[in-house]
Amino acid sequence: MNLFFFLMSILYGILKFLHINFIPYSYNGIPVGLWIAYLIVAAVEVVLVFAIAMVAVIIIVYVFRKYMADVQNRIGPNRIGPWGSLQLIADVFKLLQKQDLMPTSADRLAFKVAPYIIFTPVILGFVVIPFGNVSILNLMVVNFNYTILFLIAFMTVAPVGEIIGGLASHNKFSLYGAMRSAAQDMGFEVPMLISLISVIILAGSYSANDIVIAQRVIPFIIPEILGFIVFFLAMIARQSIPPFDLPESGSELVSGFSTEYSGMRYGILYMGNFGFMALASFVVAVIYLGGWEGPIFPGTVWLVIKGAVFIIIFLLTWVSLGRVRIDQLLNIGWKYLLPLSIINLLISAGIALYFGGVF
Amino acid sequence: MEDKIVEVNFGPQHPSTHGVLRIKVKLDGEIIVDAQPVIGYLHRNAEKLSEMGGYPKGMIYMDRLDYVAALNMELGYVMSVEQLMDVQVPERALWIRMMMVELNRIASHLIWLGTHGLDMGMLTPFFYCFSEREKILRIFDEITGSRLLYNYFAVGGVYSDITPKSVEMIKEWYGNFYKRLEEIQSIFAKSYIYVQRTKNVGKLSAEDVLSYGITGPMQRASGMKRDVRKDNPYLFYDKINFDVPTRGEGDVYARFLVRIEEMRQSASIVNQVVGKIPQGDFYNKKYSKPMLVRLKATGESYVPTESPKGEFGVHLIGDGSSIPYRVRIRSPSFANLSSIPTMLKGYKIADLTASVSSIDPVFGEVDR
Repeated sequence: MNLFFFLMSILYGILKFLHINFIPYSYNGIPVGLWIAYLIVAAVEVVLVFAIAMVAVIIIVYVFRKYMADVQNRIGPNRIGPWGSLQLIADVFKLLQKQDLMPTSADRLAFKVAPYIIFTPVILGFVVIPFGNVSILNLMVVNFNYTILFLIAFMTVAPVGEIIGGLASHNKFSLYGAMRSAAQDMGFEVPMLISLISVIILAGSYSANDIVIAQRVIPFIIPEILGFIVFFLAMIARQSIPPFDLPESGSELVSGFSTEYSGMRYGILYMGNFGFMALASFVVAVIYLGGWEGPIFPGTVWLVIKGAVFIIIFLLTWVSLGRVRIDQLLNIGWKYLLPLSIINLLISAGIALYFGGVF
Repeated sequence: MEDKIVEVNFGPQHPSTHGVLRIKVKLDGEIIVDAQPVIGYLHRNAEKLSEMGGYPKGMIYMDRLDYVAALNMELGYVMSVEQLMDVQVPERALWIRMMMVELNRIASHLIWLGTHGLDMGMLTPFFYCFSEREKILRIFDEITGSRLLYNYFAVGGVYSDITPKSVEMIKEWYGNFYKRLEEIQSIFAKSYIYVQRTKNVGKLSAEDVLSYGITGPMQRASGMKRDVRKDNPYLFYDKINFDVPTRGEGDVYARFLVRIEEMRQSASIVNQVVGKIPQGDFYNKKYSKPMLVRLKATGESYVPTESPKGEFGVHLIGDGSSIPYRVRIRSPSFANLSSIPTMLKGYKIADLTASVSSIDPVFGEVDR
C-alpha cells in the first residue's frame, strides 16, 4: 500500500466520522471532495518530506559538531538548549537577520537562483527513498519503476548550481571553485553511474524497492565490493567533504564557489550540503546494505541505523583527512575508479548470467 | 597564449598567508606561471622606535617581532646589548635563558605544525598542537607572568627567578611530550594524502638556499648542516648534547620532518638544562632596575642566534649616548620569503599554500 493512499484513506475516514459531506459537487465526474482531500494529502506529504529532510539535517549538524569537537578535545556547542542541541536553530535565525549582500558586479538572477538549484534536488531526492517495509506499508511518497534513475538524476543536478553560483559571483576564487567543481564531477560521475548500472543488472530492476528486495539473501556490498568503494568515494566527492573538498577548499580558494555567499543564501547552501549527506547515506544504505531489510526491528529503524553508519564514516573522513591536489583527484577519478567500476560491471554481469539475474 | 593567463592576488586577506602576505600569482589554469611576494602590510617601525628610547626599552619592540617566539627575539637583542657594554651575566641567568628559549622554539614549531595542517585541509591537528603549546604557555605564565609577549630577559640577567613549581611543571610536561609529539606526527606522516601532497613540492636546492640567504629549518631541509647553536655556540650550547637534524630532499615534507625532529632535540635540551641550572643570582646586581635607563655605550655589536625561523641577530651601533644610534634587525623570515618565486613556479595552486606555510613566515618579523 502506498503512503499516499494510506494517508488519504485516514483523512477520508476522519471526514466520514465527522459527517462532513462535501461530496455532492463533482467536476469532470470526479467528486470535488475527493479532489480536495487529494490536495490536502499531497500538501501533508510535501511537508512530511521537507520535515524528514530538515530533521535529518538538524541531527547530522548537531552530531557533526559534537563529534568533531570530541575528536579535537573541545566541548562543542553547549549553550543553547539542552547540551547545545538548539544551536543550529539559533544559527538559522542569526543568518536570517543578516543583510542580504551581493557583489555589485554579480549576475543577479544567476546568483540568486544558484543556492536553490543546489538545495531543491536534495529535498526532492527524499521523495523516492523507500523508508519502510514495502509489504507492510510503502513509506515512499512516490513509487514508480524508475526511482533509482530519478534519484541519480537529482543527485547530479547540484554541481550545475555550484558552477552557476561560481560564475555568477564574478570573483576569481569563485570561478576557480566552479571549474574545480565541474572537473571533479566529471571525473567521479561516470564511474558512479557505471557502478550503479551493475547494481541494476544484479537486481534486474530500476526500482529502489526491487533493489532492496533483491538483497534479502545477500546485501550487494558483498558481490559488489568494488562498486561499493567507487560509489562511496563518488558520494564523498559529490558532497565536497575532505579529502575531496576541492571546490570549497577553505585554505587555498577561500571557500571556492561560495566565497561571495552570505546570510541566508549561505545558510541554504549549508543545509543543502548536510541534507545531501543524509540523502547520500540513505542511498548507499538502500543500494548496498539492503535498505529496510533486517530482522526484529521495523524497516524504518534498520534504514536509519544503516544510514547512520555511513554518516559516521563521512564525518570520520571529514575530521581526519587532508585535501588532495587537483591532479591527484583527477587521477583517482579517471585512472583508478573508472577501470574499477568497469571491472565491477563485468563481474556483476557474469554473476547475473550464471545465477540468472536475481540472487 | 597571453589571454589564457589569469592574475590572482592571494592576500593580504587570505586564510593561508599566515598574516598579511600578498602574493601576486599569474595562473595558467591551475598552474602557477609566476609568483611575486608583496610585503609591508604589517610595518610597525620596530627599528626606528628602538632607536628612540634607551637600550632596555628596545626589548618591548623585539617581543613584537616574531610574536610566537618572543623570547628568541629578546635573546638576540639582549645578547647584542650585553656584548656592546661588556655586561657580565650570572651563570644561572644564562642557563634559565637557554631553557626558556628552547621551550619557546617548541611552542613556535607547534604553531607552525597546526597551521600547516590547516593549510593542507586537516582541521584536527591544529587543536592537538595548540593544546600542547598551551602547556608550555602555562609554564611561561608561571615563570614570567605573561603568555605571549614576555619582556623577560633584561640587560644583565632575567627579570624573575624560576620557581620550584615551574620546574615541576616542566618535568611533567617533558614526561608526556614525546608521546604526544609522536601522536601528532603520525597524523601527518601516516596519512598517504599528506605525504603525496608534500613530497617533491616547493623544492629548493642547496644553491638556491645559499643564493637567497635562507637559514634555519628550511636550510637544513635542503641538505646543509648549518646551525648557529653548533657552529658558533652562544649561551652554553657547547656544554649540551644535541643533534642538528638535516634532510637532503629540500621539499615541504623534508621541512616538516626537520621541524618535528628539532622539537625533539629542543625538548631534550630543556630536560638537560633543568638538571644543570646552578644556584646563584639570576641577574647582575650592578645592573639593577634604576640603573638600566642610564646605560651608555659606544661601538658596534652583532650576535647571531638561532631563532625558530633561522639566523636572527641585532646589529647595534652606539654613539656614546643612552639611546642607540642604529638598531638593524636581521630577520630570517624576510630572507626566507624571497624564495617564493623559485619555490612556486610550475607548481599547482594547492602547492602554493603548502610551500608558503612551509616557510613559516611571521609578519611582525618580516616587516619589522
